[in-house]
Formats: sequence, C-alpha cells, structure tokens
Amino acid sequence: MAKPKKKNSKSKSKGKGRAKPKKKSIATRADKHKLYQAAVQAPEADVEFFSKVFKDLRGRTALSMREDFCGTAFLSCTWAASKKTRTAFGVDLDEPTLQWGREHNLAPLSEAAQARVQLANGNVLDGLGEPTDLTCALNFSYGVFKTRDELRRYFEVAREKLGPDGLFITELYGGFEAIVEVEEERELEGFTYIWEQASYNPINHHTLCHIHFEFPDGSKIRKAFTYDWRLWTVPELREILVEAGFSDTKVYWERTDDDGDGTGDYQVTEEEENQDSWLVYIVGVK
Amino acid sequence: MQIQTDVSPKKRPKKSSKKARAKKKTQAEQADAHALYERAVQDPQTDAAALAKLYRRVRKRQAKLMREDFCGTGSLSAQWVKGGKDRTAYGVDLDRPTLDWGLEHNVGPMSAGVAKRISLVEGNVLTQRGPKADITCALNFSYCCLKDRKSLVTYFKNVRKNLAKDGVFVMDVLGGSDTMGPDENRHDLGGFTYRWKQHFFDPLTHDLRCTISFFFDDGSKISPAFEYDWRLWTMPELCDALEEAGFASTHRMWEKTDKKGNGTGEFDEPKRVENQESWWTYLIAER
Repeated sequence: MAKPKKKNSKSKSKGKGRAKPKKKSIATRADKHKLYQAAVQAPEADVEFFSKVFKDLRGRTALSMREDFCGTAFLSCTWAASKKTRTAFGVDLDEPTLQWGREHNLAPLSEAAQARVQLANGNVLDGLGEPTDLTCALNFSYGVFKTRDELRRYFEVAREKLGPDGLFITELYGGFEAIVEVEEERELEGFTYIWEQASYNPINHHTLCHIHFEFPDGSKIRKAFTYDWRLWTVPELREILVEAGFSDTKVYWERTDDDGDGTGDYQVTEEEENQDSWLVYIVGVK
Repeated sequence: MQIQTDVSPKKRPKKSSKKARAKKKTQAEQADAHALYERAVQDPQTDAAALAKLYRRVRKRQAKLMREDFCGTGSLSAQWVKGGKDRTAYGVDLDRPTLDWGLEHNVGPMSAGVAKRISLVEGNVLTQRGPKADITCALNFSYCCLKDRKSLVTYFKNVRKNLAKDGVFVMDVLGGSDTMGPDENRHDLGGFTYRWKQHFFDPLTHDLRCTISFFFDDGSKISPAFEYDWRLWTMPELCDALEEAGFASTHRMWEKTDKKGNGTGEFDEPKRVENQESWWTYLIAER
C-alpha cells in the first residue's frame, strides 16, 4: 500500500482539501473475502447442524466431509478443527479464492488440524478425492447448473463420492421476496452488507444477484460478488436427487419463536406455509 | 372437475311441513354451478380465437382439429367448431355428469351440422387415444391436478402421441408471488359474486389448494362450488417435462402491455420479463 503524500504547505491550490493527501477509503483497504465471511457465513452453526443430522440419520459421528464450491474453505477448516478425527476436502474452481483461504482460514489452525484439510482446485463434476461421510454444497452455488441434466449429473457425482452411508447436504432459499427484484441491507460491524436481486425471470427462473458492501466513510464495493443462477424449487431439487440415485430426501425448516423469528433450530418437516423469505437444508440420503 | 353440490344448510321447519314446502328456494338452490362457472371463469370465444392465432403463429396455416383435454362442459370445443365449417373438436374429461351437462347445454342447442363436428368423450387424458389433433389444449390449469412429475410427463407423452405430425400443444400457466400463498379475490358479476380463494400453498411441494365459490344477493351461497388440489407447476418445470416427453421445442409466451402497463390480450415471446404479483400466460410446445 502506498504511503499517503505529505501535505505541501506551499501549495497554491485554492480548492479546499485539494492538496490534502488523499486518505484511502475503507473500501480500498477492505478485503472482500473477509467481509463475505463475516456477512454470509456461519460455519460453526453448519458444523453443529451437520453433526446432528448425521448422528440422527446414521447413528454415528460424521468424520470426513467434502465441501463442494468451497471458496475460502471457511467451513472445511471449521469442520476439521471441530474434532481431532475429522477431515475435510474442499473443492473450488477458483485458485485465488482457495489461496486466500489457505492464508486466512487454514494457516491459523494447529498443524495437526491443517494436515486434516485438503483443498483442491478443480471442478465439482470431476469427483476428485476420496469418498466421504458428508458432502455439502452450501450458499446455493449449484444454481450455476441451469438445466436438469447438468444438475442431475452433479448430484450423481456427489452421490458416487459418498461413503456407503453418506449424506449429501445442500440448501435453498425461497419465499415471496426471493422471486422479485429487491435490495436488502444488513448493518454489520464496520460495514453494510447489501444483497441485491437485480433480476428474476419467471419464464426460466434465472436470477442475477449481487453482493455489495458499503462503509461508514461513504465508500463502497459494488458487485463484490455476482451470481448468475437458476433459482431451483424444493420439489425440483428433491425429484432430481431421487433421479440421481438418492434413496430418500429430507427437508429441514427453521423453527420460529413466539414472535415468528428464526431460532436457528432446523427440524425435518413435510408441510409448511410459504413466507416472505426462508432458507432450508435439503438432505439427500444415499 | 369436482363439484360440491351442497348449499348452505336449510333451517328445519318448525311447524307444518306445508309451510316449509311453500318456502321459496334460495338463489343458491336454484343456481347451476356449471352455468355460473362458465360465466365467471371462461371466455371460450376469446380462448378459441387465441388458440387459432397461436397455431397460425407457429405453423403459418389454420388449425382444423382441436383436442380439448380436461374439457369439462366442452364450452371451448363448442366455440371452436362454431368458428369455422372445417373445424372439428374432440373434448376429453373424466367426469361423466359434467360432460352430460355440456352435451345438453353447449352441444344440444347447435344445429345438427355443427353438432356432428364435436365429440365429448369420457376418458382419462393420461391414456385416452383420439384423432390426431392439429392443436391440443389444456386450459384453466387443470393439468395441475397431476401432482407428481412422472404423471405430468406421462400426460405430455399422451398429448404428443395424439397430435398430428406437425401438431401443437397449448397450455396456460399461472404464476407470480401472490399465487404462492393464501389469497382471494371476488368479482361481482351481476346476480352473483364469484370468489377465487387460495387456502394454502406449500413451498416444499408447491401444493396449492383453492376453491371457487358463488355468493348471491339473498345471502345464500354455493361454497365451495369447485375445489382444486393442485401442484402449482412453474414455467421451467413444464418446459423441462415437455422436453422429456419428446416435444421438439417450447415457446414461453407473455402478454404484451400498453404504456400504462395493462395487458393488451396480445402475446409474444420475450426472452426476459419481470415477475409480477400474479400472471397467467400461454406455453406452446411443438410436437
């Protein structure tokens, strides 16, 4: 980072502040991966949920996990650190993002925990690595597969790379507000997170979404992340999982308290009323 | 089409049964649910014209033989054959009483020359064979009673099997955020009020339960007159299933709007549209 220039007191410039050294904005100094992790991810909650679901359905502790579309592998690192016997295998197409994860999420772990995490730069359709107890595809990344054939092929590969009693866990968002153009803001420590649904096309369910960050000094990172997805529906995902060979599927819905707020407690369900906005976990049982 | 014939419960006569007999029937008791349905929901003249136009758009010639699946009272089939001397119609429905009502009220009044060009057949649209149609239609979202994908694909395969080589299948599609939750709307149609009510939508299954009811000026009602237990299929799901059933191509139509944003009744095929609270449109599939 370049040092700010010293103020030149002899400057003839009349413009107020013009001669001032330009302080870098918060946006210029910010790290978008760090902001993303703080705004969007909660890997400890995911680890807790995955552990519970696997124990409930399989009667034992899940040890190995594959994280497809792992990005910075925040979840993989959290998983491996959660138990000495746990291993994680993260797969992502984008090497710079993986590298960021190695530096920021992997390096701080103990050496032993680091040794239990493997990160592969590759395509989730290639079925890299050894079979695992769990495979997860979070943050809706599979939305890049826009046809049933592509999505089924991904689910088939995911199923093949599971151990004999493996589980595949993914998530989906929906609700009245998921299928319209909308922008929602959330205030977080030191920045504002903005989720924008720039378009949603009811003809093919393609949606274009952006994540923006804004800072107290007025600076911004517009389109820090952009997603071009097909927003699949719950029945579609369940049907395609079964077509891909999964023997059963389960949907976990968030319980609400008396005020109707989410409690973070997800339970199996078969029937729900629609809401403005919801997020579900969908589990494919091998 | 399912019909609920019971009307609001009658009060038990207190004294003489003679008095009760003399009691004037309520408007609901005198009403005919099919006649009310046709008035409230259907516009067969517009539908017949739209179908003819959609066919011309794809095939550049006139359609002659139309098959109407889930035909109910066959009012569209009747309108179709009235629209041209070389037109024939083949309507299929599961419900015998509804077909009989249509034969009596829609086909009966026709001249013999017109009536002989329409057949209303009791049968299951999943398996019913028939003459090879230029155009087959499934309107009023009736295919939504097929709730699993396998049945939907089976249905589409049967449609395709009974189309002429260059035949065209047209269905209507319902959508928008308001269709995915409880909702109701009422229309005063002069003499009675029509109510469409969505009771429940499940985002996990896309099950949609809704009813049609009729309310009369004397306070009587037929509620519900018709009940629907549907899966609200989405446009891409329908296109995927049509492709799987062997259809060569699909056209996702959308109603054009005027400068004020009101529908013009004209449809084209845009690549991208903005979602609305509630919309319906046509989906065309070429055999």
